[in-house]
Amino acid sequence: MDDRSFVAAQDVILDMKKYWTTRLYPALKAEYAERAAAVGESPQTRQQVTELLGSTTSYRYFAWMERHLQRMKYSGRYGLVPYHHERAADLRNTLPDMSGESRLELDPDFKNPVYYETVDVHQHPGGVWSEPTAGFVYERGARSTTPMLGARHRDLHGRLTDRAIRDGIPDRLLDMGCGFGKSTRPFYEELRDTQVDAVDLAAPCLELAAADAAATQAENVRFRQMNAYETDYDPESFDVVTSTMLLHEMPPEEIGRTFDECARVLKPGGRMVHLDFYILPDAFAEFIHYGHSQRNNEPFMVPLVEMDVKAELETRGFTNISIEPFQEADGVDVENSPFWRFPWTIIAADRP
Amino acid sequence: MKNPDWVDQGPPETPLPEQTFFEDPAIDRAFAVTMALATEVWVLKDRVMALEAALARSGVVDSAMLADEPDNDERAAHESQRQAFVAGLLDSLTGRQASAGAPEMES
Ligand SMILES: C[S@@+](CC[C@H](N)C(=O)[O-])C[C@H]1O[C@@H](n2cnc3c(N)ncnc32)[C@H](O)[C@@H]1O
Repeated sequence: MDDRSFVAAQDVILDMKKYWTTRLYPALKAEYAERAAAVGESPQTRQQVTELLGSTTSYRYFAWMERHLQRMKYSGRYGLVPYHHERAADLRNTLPDMSGESRLELDPDFKNPVYYETVDVHQHPGGVWSEPTAGFVYERGARSTTPMLGARHRDLHGRLTDRAIRDGIPDRLLDMGCGFGKSTRPFYEELRDTQVDAVDLAAPCLELAAADAAATQAENVRFRQMNAYETDYDPESFDVVTSTMLLHEMPPEEIGRTFDECARVLKPGGRMVHLDFYILPDAFAEFIHYGHSQRNNEPFMVPLVEMDVKAELETRGFTNISIEPFQEADGVDVENSPFWRFPWTIIAADRP
Repeated sequence: MKNPDWVDQGPPETPLPEQTFFEDPAIDRAFAVTMALATEVWVLKDRVMALEAALARSGVVDSAMLADEPDNDERAAHESQRQAFVAGLLDSLTGRQASAGAPEMES
């Protein structure tokens, strides 16, 4: 596949996704409102929404597009995966020699949790971990994960950074499930006096993250291959622990263990700040989110929204708990967005 | 909160289940063909635009002229090809078969 054709195809697929976000979604929502008005009451549960909307032609196409545009993005003739596979050797050569590199620590004997290898999350064949170009695939794909954000996506991570340091600049910060370092970057770039550690399961992503950090000559960051809920840090090591889009990729018991791990590695008075998908303002939002979870191969999105996170945190002794909608970009209406969006939510709490 | 049962079991027997959204899955698949073609169409359009721009830069074609309404001679010259295109596209709507088949079997 030549580069021009790949870019043209990816661009048009992204434009179709934007159309889905800004045209099909509002049309579906309008049809829903009409149908609800016709029966005279607004649904209180997602099952009631399903009854109203589930078998309409609009919804079927909405659902089809959601699943298949993502499939076309990753696989098929112009997919990210075949494109990067064809270029595997060249791409690997773009990575600097990382032997003796303190910014990267991989564990050749690392074993993934079973859940992690079972499902190709986001419909990324082989996931972000199983082959040497997986990090490149994920990086390229992430430039357009949230179709409406586009180049402003960096904004999201910057906003979380502001939020995480609201109460002071940490000496040490841990970013869990850092991927290829997109969520970690504003921390180590903007907080030059903070020692930032970042962990993830996926070696191909960590390599990219470390190469990026090396390119900016950041001295205050380390990327380490490690399970977020089984790290090797000493107790009370960090002032702040963060994660971005990690929790919804874990089964509920592992989320619990991740909160335990945060409690263990945080210093007394330290704060954890997780950015994820949690608060669903109404039955329609729930219906859409459950559908997304199924269609995009994200099976743990649903258990996360069904979890009583506040109770889980209270049980573990966390205090100052705040669970609130997060505005991912300027001008977004978090209560009632006319366009499709993720239910971005901040889950933050202090270790007493 | 407890994990769903399948979490520790590893990949299921059918690791790549098809998701369908229409009452007849034939629609799911046919629409996928259409969308794949739509992508190809854009890839081609993009290539033609690049080609035109390159040819215009080297003075081989005049882009404005390419966009002019074709005269009747040119349209007529394309007519038979256009009609063949239409026939190729729509012939199967008639249900007409091209090869002699065996009599239908009693079921
Ligand atoms: C959606 S990505 C987010 C990456 C990054 N935080 C960002 O915002 O770009 C989720 C990441 O979580 C990682 N992950 C999933 N389960 C994990 C676990 N148990 N421990 C550490 N990382 C995990 C995945 O490998 C993936 O890189």
